[in-house]
Amino acid sequence: MSRDLKKRLRAAGLWVTTFVLMVIMCVPGLWVVLSGFRPNREILAKPPVWVPEELTLSNFGKIFGFGAEQVAIPVLSYFWNSMVIAMTSTLIALIIGMAGGYAFARFRFRFKNAWFLGLMLFRAVPGIALSLPVFMLWSRLGLIDTQMGLIIVYVSLNVPFTIWLIDGFFRQIPMSLSEAAQVDGCTRWQAFWKIEFPLARSGIAAAGVFAFLTSWNEFALASQLTRSTDSKTLPVGLMDFTAQFTIDWAGMCAMAVIIIVPALILTFLVQKHLIAGLTFGGVKG
Amino acid sequence: MNPARPVMRAAPPNDGFVTPVTRFFKRNQTALTPVLLLSPALLTMLFVVAIPLAFSLYTSLTPYRLTRPESIEIFVGARNYMRLLSNDDFWEAFLRTILFLAIALNVEFVLGLGIALLINKITWGQRTLRTIMMFPMMFSPILVGFQFKFIFNDNIGILNNALQSLGITDRAIPWLVDGKLAMFSIIFAEVWMSTSVFAILLLAGLFAMPRDPLEAAKVDGCNAWQTFRHITLPFIMPFAFIAMTIRSLDVARAYDIVAVMTDGGPAGRTELLWTMIARVGYENARMGQANAMAYISTILSIAFTYYFFTKLVAARRYMGGAE
Amino acid sequence: MAGISLQNVVKKYGRLEVVHGINLDIEHNEFVVLVGPSGCGKSTTLRMIAGLEDISDGDIAIGDQVVNDLPPRKRNISMVFQNYALYPHMNVRENLGFGLKIAGQSKDAIEQRVQEAADILGLSELLERIPAELSGGQRQRVAMGRAIVRHPEAFLFDEPLSNLDAKLRVQMRTEIKKLHNKVKTTVVYVTHDQVEAMTLADRIVVMKDGYIEQVGTPMEVFSHPVNTFVASFIGSPPMNLIPARITSGMAEFRDGKKIPVPSRLAEDVTEGQEIIFGIRPDDLTPIGHGIHEARETTDIDLTVDLAELLGTETLLYTSFAGQEVQGKMFDPRNVTPGETLTFRLSLDKAHIFDAASGQSVRRL
Repeated sequence: MSRDLKKRLRAAGLWVTTFVLMVIMCVPGLWVVLSGFRPNREILAKPPVWVPEELTLSNFGKIFGFGAEQVAIPVLSYFWNSMVIAMTSTLIALIIGMAGGYAFARFRFRFKNAWFLGLMLFRAVPGIALSLPVFMLWSRLGLIDTQMGLIIVYVSLNVPFTIWLIDGFFRQIPMSLSEAAQVDGCTRWQAFWKIEFPLARSGIAAAGVFAFLTSWNEFALASQLTRSTDSKTLPVGLMDFTAQFTIDWAGMCAMAVIIIVPALILTFLVQKHLIAGLTFGGVKG
Repeated sequence: MNPARPVMRAAPPNDGFVTPVTRFFKRNQTALTPVLLLSPALLTMLFVVAIPLAFSLYTSLTPYRLTRPESIEIFVGARNYMRLLSNDDFWEAFLRTILFLAIALNVEFVLGLGIALLINKITWGQRTLRTIMMFPMMFSPILVGFQFKFIFNDNIGILNNALQSLGITDRAIPWLVDGKLAMFSIIFAEVWMSTSVFAILLLAGLFAMPRDPLEAAKVDGCNAWQTFRHITLPFIMPFAFIAMTIRSLDVARAYDIVAVMTDGGPAGRTELLWTMIARVGYENARMGQANAMAYISTILSIAFTYYFFTKLVAARRYMGGAE
Repeated sequence: MAGISLQNVVKKYGRLEVVHGINLDIEHNEFVVLVGPSGCGKSTTLRMIAGLEDISDGDIAIGDQVVNDLPPRKRNISMVFQNYALYPHMNVRENLGFGLKIAGQSKDAIEQRVQEAADILGLSELLERIPAELSGGQRQRVAMGRAIVRHPEAFLFDEPLSNLDAKLRVQMRTEIKKLHNKVKTTVVYVTHDQVEAMTLADRIVVMKDGYIEQVGTPMEVFSHPVNTFVASFIGSPPMNLIPARITSGMAEFRDGKKIPVPSRLAEDVTEGQEIIFGIRPDDLTPIGHGIHEARETTDIDLTVDLAELLGTETLLYTSFAGQEVQGKMFDPRNVTPGETLTFRLSLDKAHIFDAASGQSVRRL
């Protein structure tokens, strides 16, 4: 066999493997998204209908309560709750995380590594395990089934990881920049806002997206701490479909699309920084 | 005396009186600032995690049932724990959880490494491929669970439909109904969701890898496998540990997947610690018992994270020496 | 008038003391270079002057004001950092004008001062560029521009040339010197490179392990090092330091060889004293290949182990009293290793240090 042919075969093999892997990664998600636009009877058809004969928005109309056929699931409230809770908890977590990350990146203090590890370990408590005592305490504090109750929990869920990421981003900015600004006449506070913050901005945005996704996607805690349209989020709402006798696959798929689209857009916007944040934060400690 | 030599004089009064006290605070400003900056984070963790955990520990020492509120005041010592330790269902769920994690994490690492090496080899389209890889990462675990419940559905699932259409099998395979297949299915879903974390971080490691040691190894007579084993792998290990640490922080999100796919079924064959906690605590309302279990699962998670984090720190130090 | 004065300045990190009560008076418009090996406390000292590090004890005054507790912005100093610390998200114009903008100066005033600094440093063409688009030397210039634009009372330089390649370093060194001549101001300059120290300084401060070893003009420090550390640190190649003992007016080496004690130092040594005999390679030259006529000399035969041709001179490695000793040959001819030459040692330029303390025996 000629060398050239061997090389080409290898390249082809490489491509085929990659292609198969990518198909496995994409197809399940795409199939769900596609099914969101198909009528239920086509999904349930036997023998299966492979090529969609009809694409429709009726599933969305249905779950949003438009059109003739309605489902008694208040998706709009869920969407609103999810947005408010995820946005608010992300914003608070970012502020707390920026302060904490800056402290870890810029100051020397005793037991620094131990503090850092301690924060991380708090994050490791399984959601469902944490939900038990939080459920009991929140009942006493009247925080069950409130947006506030979930926001508080999500802030604490996001703070450690946000600190980790933001610490990494601040470390990439040479300390001498802030020092130069201070020599140039800034207070430390001014130096932070005029120099360090603008430079870390994209990284902080990435951390924000991570926090948003965590809150947006969280289920274990939300499923126990929410009850009604006052605070139920989309992931919890998704279970409404299965609670019914027959599963409304088309409706669930449509709802899945609603959950995935904001996450998708946000991730693509900052994907470069996400990777950089994860690796720099970790390796260049 | 030298005329240019400055005459010592205290700072002007507009900068405040320099008393020993103000001087102490000024000099210790840098020591107090980090405390100040960290306090919101620490307070949050204290109120939302530490205090609940303490409460959880206390509850685990009582026979508390949601239906009988007064039972929280009865102290029974380690009875809940003793009962758990002698309970076969608990042990089964515990060992199944360990097995689940061991298989999932190992498969994710190996697959992730494979994918990273593959993409590293490919000369164009790397960025697009990497973006596609991020796809599963942004999926809500509950969504992943639902998605695979849909795909593995024995009646209308795309998988069975495909297998039957291709003539590979003529009967519907009960993916989520048979115990063993159900376990496979949830592991598959978990691996699908989390392999990207490894792939992306290991790929970042490969991108960051300097060429010199690789070339030096070639000159020293290493073959491809030896080069990989002794140069590439040690270099990207810290990245693997970051991935492991990130993963270990939220291994318990597999709860979401299992809750929606099988909810521990069929007949408890996919019951993990986490689904068991939810069942005992919320469905059976036996909070005391559930908190005991929750404590065990918390310690398990923390041990995982601690282990990988120390590995990460060690690997980092070792890397520092090479640079 | 802005001199800088350090009185018993101490820096501690926790229990670790890294600067041990140093005293230094820097005069108005003086160019002072702090030099020493890494970890000697020179950068810490500079950062304490800048206010970037708190001082643990003692006093620092700039002009006639004690600045111990003043933040950097109130000290009216400017600083050039080792990595230049240019603000990556601002162009050159904004970088230069940043300090003035913070100080609340008017747009016109800023523009005028920026233009003035840009003219001095030849940056006028680069004002709209961002730091990433500049070469190393240009970045260096912008960093200096940022320092001069505010007309501070003192410039602080923290190893500003160490990130440049050798050729550019020499060029920028000259520019810094010219700049100081143009913009007369007090300068404190930190470097580990003794050549930079020698060429730039009005006065050199040699530091080691948090202590000041010697303060003096480049000539003083070079010609009259107070101890063996300064002797070996200043000058390249370093001074040969050979242990010996004083016996009847001669320095007797380990192998029994003897060299007369220079007459100017005869009073300063005692019989039987253990000493270190110091001689620079420039003052140990084969007969006929030296550069200056010494009044007092002694001749020794040495075998050359290795000869390094440097062009106008050749560096000769020989063994003396059981250790390697370097000599120089000016106006060189070819020397083959193993060749024995008669070297003329200029006793005028020889140094004697007490072996126990390392201090020069010369009384001032």
